[in-house]
Amino acid sequence: MKSSGTCPQCDVPLRRNGFRVQLFEDAGVEKDIDIRRRILREFNKQEEEFATLREYNDYLEDVETIIYNLVNGIDVLATNKKIEAYKRDNRESIVRNRARGRTEEDELDEILQMENELNEERAREEQERLQAEKRNKVQKKEALIDELMTSYGDAKKIVASHTKVAEPEAPVAPKPRPKPTQFSSGVRIGSTRLPAVPIVPQDEGEPFVYAAPELAMDGPAAPDSERLSADGYLSHIKRVGDAERAGGYAASLGCLRALQEGMAGLLFFPGADG
Amino acid sequence: MFPTSTQKKHWMFKDEEDIANRRRETNRRFIDKHGAEMSEEKRAEFFLTPSEEKIVAQYYECHLRDFCKAFQPPMPKAVSGTASHYFKRFYMHNSVMDFHPKGILVTCVYLSCKVEEFNVSIGQFVANVKGDKEKATDIILNNELTVMHGVHYHLTVHTPFRPVEGLLIDIKTRCPSLQNPDRLRPIIDEFLEAVFFTDAVLLFAPSQIALAAILYAVSRVQENLDAYVTSELLASAARPQLQALVEAVRKIRLLVKTVEQPQRDVVKQLERKLDKCRNQENNPESQAYKRRMREMLEDDDDVPSYKVARVDSDS
Repeated sequence: MKSSGTCPQCDVPLRRNGFRVQLFEDAGVEKDIDIRRRILREFNKQEEEFATLREYNDYLEDVETIIYNLVNGIDVLATNKKIEAYKRDNRESIVRNRARGRTEEDELDEILQMENELNEERAREEQERLQAEKRNKVQKKEALIDELMTSYGDAKKIVASHTKVAEPEAPVAPKPRPKPTQFSSGVRIGSTRLPAVPIVPQDEGEPFVYAAPELAMDGPAAPDSERLSADGYLSHIKRVGDAERAGGYAASLGCLRALQEGMAGLLFFPGADG
Repeated sequence: MFPTSTQKKHWMFKDEEDIANRRRETNRRFIDKHGAEMSEEKRAEFFLTPSEEKIVAQYYECHLRDFCKAFQPPMPKAVSGTASHYFKRFYMHNSVMDFHPKGILVTCVYLSCKVEEFNVSIGQFVANVKGDKEKATDIILNNELTVMHGVHYHLTVHTPFRPVEGLLIDIKTRCPSLQNPDRLRPIIDEFLEAVFFTDAVLLFAPSQIALAAILYAVSRVQENLDAYVTSELLASAARPQLQALVEAVRKIRLLVKTVEQPQRDVVKQLERKLDKCRNQENNPESQAYKRRMREMLEDDDDVPSYKVARVDSDS
């Protein structure tokens, strides 16, 4: 089967996946919806973008005129030109508004979802209530039968007492805990969008101030790493292989460690200061 | 670094008297607990005295050294040094009568292998132990936590071996007049080995012990490093500090000089006494120990069933 071709009557190129099931009886309405959808993708300005209401209304009227023209085949060429010009002039605002339109839709979706959840919850509660009631009834009936079976009293009295007891009892179903639907930050579980209001950071405390760490030595200071090779310390230790160097090791590391450990604590006297 | 270590904070003692006091305290605590109903004379006769405990511990320190030396694959010196530290630290707060040194010493070595990153498996390790390997494995693994607890989980140990290397590098660099310092090494090693039979590692910083070892070796080869020590190494130190260091070095050398190996027959006799007075709950061959282990196992089994019962009663 071919996936595209031209209309045998008017030579308009048609695509196979462009066809769809007709929703409305009147093909004209269908056409109107199609065109409207296409046009509104471009003409998506918001009221806030206009200085006055008057201007916004003029804009809406323009849009309606364009749609009407296209639907009814009036001035198609000029109208298309007008659309092209508009697209060219407003490319940025179109893209921006498309993005915003999406967020608004998302919000709507979310509200719908919330409502759905609420409805489900209510339905479930109702069902639970009904079930509890049913169970209650069965239990009462069994109790009555039991008593009738075992008791030697008047059967009528027993039945009367049971019906009396049954009256005042209103079913008190334990309210189930609501399912958690949002995080403590207020973001809904499952929602990828951040809330419109950014989370205000709490008190952050004092800003960090860097202080060079002090090296406790309890003894003479070891030479610093710059002096190691200058003073010839490095010539007295094992040569460092390429493999070790590739791993990030340097001769000065081991050398300095040994020197520091050799000098640290030399002047530490536990007896003297208790 | 030693100055910021737990070793300096918790395991350096004022003097030998301080250490002796603590050992006496440990000994008294054990006797109070296990000899509560005995008369004073009976106690003195039945239990080990602090000095007897010390002899036994020393005897097992020799054992520890021999064990480490014969260990296959050969282990770095730092491993045996650290193990020796653990052993000394452990018996500061635990009596020899409470935990028999035989089990503790191998556990110290095993723990030290881990801490010093000398990688041997338990199977490889017990291959070095004489006798029943399976039993040794049990003893080591059962004692491991006990030892860690006994050293208060202060597992990082600063031994004098690296400071020796550092000081030798410094000497080679700043004191070229000393001919071939590497010939000192055998003497230094010998000295350090002797140091671990003393309490010097609980009294002096590792660098001080290293310096003492080097100075001892230098004097043995008829050389002198005094000029290097006073005007190079410690040029910045004040006079009294220098005096104190000289005193410390002298003391370390004295401790090493006076070290004496315990007499075999004395130890034999003490061991016989120890077998009677030791805490049977920690003796893997005793009935008391087996009972305790069984109880612990049963306790473990009990816990889950108890939990299940509780959940049931809740619902």
